[in-house]
Amino acid sequence: MTILAIVEVLGRFHPVLVHLPIGILLVACLFQLFVKRFPLLRPSVPVLLFWGMLAAVASCITGYLLSLSGDYDAVLTRRHQWLGIITAAAAFLFYMLHRLSLASRYANPMAAGVIALIMVTGHLGGSLTHGTDYLTAGMDDAGADQTMKPIPNIQEAVLYTAVVQPILQRKCYSCHGSSKQKGKLRLDEENYILKGGKDGKAIESGKPDESAMIKRLLLPLNDDDHMPPKEKPQLTPNEVAVLNWWVSTGNSFTKKVKELPQTDKIKPVLAALQSGSGGNVAKSADVPDAAVSAASEDAVNKLKDAGVMVVPVAHEKNYLSVNFVTAGNQARQLVKLLEPLKKQLVWLRLDGSDIDDAALAAIAKLEGLTRLYLSNTAITDAGLQHLKPLKQLQVLNLVGTKVTDKGVAELKTMPALRAIYLYKTNINRNAWVQLKRAFPKTILDSGGYNVPTLVTDTTLVTADQQKK
Amino acid sequence: MTKKDLIDQRLVREAEQMVMRTHTRRHFLKESAMGLGALAMGSLLGGCGGKTKAAHSVVFDPAHPLLPKAPPFIGKAKSVIFLHMAGAPSQFELFDYKPELAKMDGQDCPPSFLEGKHFAFITGVPKMLGPQATFARHGQSGAWVSEHLPHFSEVVDEVSFLKAVTTDQFNHAPAQLLVHTGSPRLGRPSIGSWVTYGLGTENQNLPGFVVLTSGGSFPDAGKSVWGSGFLPSVYQGVQCRSEGDPVLFIKDPDGMSRDLRKASIEAVNKANMQEYKDYNDPEILSRISQYEMAYRMQITAPDVMNINDEPPYIHEMYGTKPGKACFANNVLLARKLVEKGVRFVQLFDWGWDAHGDNASNALNIGIINKYRSVDKPVTALLLDLKQRGLLDETLVVWAGEFGRTPMMENRNGAQNPFKGRDHHTEAFTIWMAGGGIKKGHTHGETDEIGYTAVSGKVDAFDIQATILNQLGFDHEQFTYPYQGRPFRLTDVGGKVIREIIA
Repeated sequence: MTILAIVEVLGRFHPVLVHLPIGILLVACLFQLFVKRFPLLRPSVPVLLFWGMLAAVASCITGYLLSLSGDYDAVLTRRHQWLGIITAAAAFLFYMLHRLSLASRYANPMAAGVIALIMVTGHLGGSLTHGTDYLTAGMDDAGADQTMKPIPNIQEAVLYTAVVQPILQRKCYSCHGSSKQKGKLRLDEENYILKGGKDGKAIESGKPDESAMIKRLLLPLNDDDHMPPKEKPQLTPNEVAVLNWWVSTGNSFTKKVKELPQTDKIKPVLAALQSGSGGNVAKSADVPDAAVSAASEDAVNKLKDAGVMVVPVAHEKNYLSVNFVTAGNQARQLVKLLEPLKKQLVWLRLDGSDIDDAALAAIAKLEGLTRLYLSNTAITDAGLQHLKPLKQLQVLNLVGTKVTDKGVAELKTMPALRAIYLYKTNINRNAWVQLKRAFPKTILDSGGYNVPTLVTDTTLVTADQQKK
Repeated sequence: MTKKDLIDQRLVREAEQMVMRTHTRRHFLKESAMGLGALAMGSLLGGCGGKTKAAHSVVFDPAHPLLPKAPPFIGKAKSVIFLHMAGAPSQFELFDYKPELAKMDGQDCPPSFLEGKHFAFITGVPKMLGPQATFARHGQSGAWVSEHLPHFSEVVDEVSFLKAVTTDQFNHAPAQLLVHTGSPRLGRPSIGSWVTYGLGTENQNLPGFVVLTSGGSFPDAGKSVWGSGFLPSVYQGVQCRSEGDPVLFIKDPDGMSRDLRKASIEAVNKANMQEYKDYNDPEILSRISQYEMAYRMQITAPDVMNINDEPPYIHEMYGTKPGKACFANNVLLARKLVEKGVRFVQLFDWGWDAHGDNASNALNIGIINKYRSVDKPVTALLLDLKQRGLLDETLVVWAGEFGRTPMMENRNGAQNPFKGRDHHTEAFTIWMAGGGIKKGHTHGETDEIGYTAVSGKVDAFDIQATILNQLGFDHEQFTYPYQGRPFRLTDVGGKVIREIIA
């Protein structure tokens, strides 16, 4: 037992010790390469090589002891091991060449070779401890981002792939993944998670209180058994809550969030995932999440040249918002130019423009519209009928138009309508009750709000009054 | 090619060679070395920040500085109407109901409230002053509103109250600057400038950032509260009026025909263009575009900015005073401007400084008239925006620059002749409505007598961060490079007040 323990302790010196040969041998080789220009360096090269070689041998031994723990990826470890041994051997050979004064001819290629060996071996060693994607993680935004990404629709998402796996990937894979398996535990695939590690199962299905993984997450930070280790990035309370809920609901790998029983405690956590706990992204329900190709530049420029405002709804989004605020007197002709944008156009403002019933036919083709503003235009019931094919339309502004309750009632088949603004329209005063009943899910705003004038609104308080 | 062209060409070539002659090998080496160093430094620093996300790059096109631009994220609000009650209204008489304070009315202020504190005027031991109003709960949300706002109390279910706002400035000018520019000192761009810089404006015939003042005086901090600071000057607020010409000198003088005006502006612009070619100063392009906009505004502005074409029932609703400069007229004008695509409308209403040193600023006399002058118009604004389908996308903010003390003000050891309160930094109330803000919500609490914020404490930076958030900006990423570093509206502070976001 004690010998095994000593072996383990010695092995753990490898990550520290290994920097000695890297440093010393690199200096030796670099000195060698510059010997011609700075002859003063010459005597120090064999000395450095000697100590570098000893350190390399020590590293090899400790490295071998460490590899016995079996926590590391076998293939990578073997490669690293042999390259390490070759490096030590090369250093020894190099040193002997110097001692035998045979160095002059082979020295420079030898030095270059040792440098190359050190770099490759060092890289493999680094991959073992930090993971193979450690170097490139910085280039890849997704890898560097330590916060949770907002999920468009959390209820429809598969809990494991959308939420649990990304947490494990960010916080656990570096020690319990493909390149390293501390405690013989891997968490990167379903069968490994279920299998557990050398201390037994990691999770007990449906019993988070008895699952080693959850228990360790919940231990105080200073406890030796706490996971992740104190110095590693910790899970946020929300992440722990999600993992806990996942285990308590039977750690399904395929079920969607909505198929699992949701406690009051988990609901806000799930809601936070949807809105993105870290970012400040204001979600908008009336722009589709799906990406869309960019609109034709020609079509956009034609509109812009005519004075129509065409603006993307946000950076890096191809969905467009179009406003005729300063081109309203040509709207009738110009709406035809919108057709090439029908995939991208979501918000369209024609308030106060010269658009009429006939011209609305062109708008019926704009299938992606979610908001349409037609206030203070000449449109009537006849024009409204063109809008029925707009399946995505959520907000319709008809303030100050001639539409009546008959025309509006026809729109009840439109599935997405959320609000219709009907202030100053020709809707029969008696028809409101029925109209509102026809639209159970839609807010119909009749407007006409009043702020009555009170006596106090038009009188002033004076000092004399107050004295009385 | 004419002979003149040839000579021109030769001159240009000669000038280019002169420039090149000054670029010696030493210059080249120095610049490349510095450049490499800067590159390396940049990537090193980039690695330190933790966030690898690039800052929002706002593309500034000096020739079309006000063209609309996409926000970084999809914003809930398109426009902002900021109603600033300059002078700081008293939270104790409007929204922050404190029955405990009523019990202490007339007693000496406990020393614990005075130790180590600084007030603008209070010295020695002042008396406590109970609420000078009766309160009731209103709406489904049960928000407390005093009798002084009978109209507004009907629409509390549209707004979110922030009851624990704090500031660190107890004088009007710096406190107003902090609210509007994110710094108590002069020189920073105002929030309206930031917003028009970031988003442009949809209506190219009107300014993107309009300022309307009422109450007979400018805000204490002067026009800097709508200044553009280090942003291009085209983004500063354009002050308009609701009395007489909406913009001074907007009418052509007698004898000046439209054609002549056009010709003269074209000539001025030509000269400016020449100047731009010589000096490459983008501010000159801004100036040219400003002239062009002014010319277009001459046609459109008198129409849009004329509230007289509104029907009588709308005037009645807002309680306007035809032909006078007053808050109600400005509020109605603000709605009209937002309807026409103006991005940011900033109202300042002066006269809320309730010290009680004379009748006009006494809590029980002059200030009551202030309540009456804003209650109806503000209520009308919310309802009118709502019925036009604009409230969802227009963020309305009502705020003073700080709060008022629970103590009655004394000066030089003597009671003030009228009931009044001193400036107070530790707690006051503001509200926001529309533009994706929760309806009928209250965030933040003060202690039993309303002296200090207990929970839900927010400051000016948090409010600015929230406004920017509703427009589609991450306030931490929305920066402008100046004097060698990126500046932002919220400086190093600010946290979006998620609790009031719908």
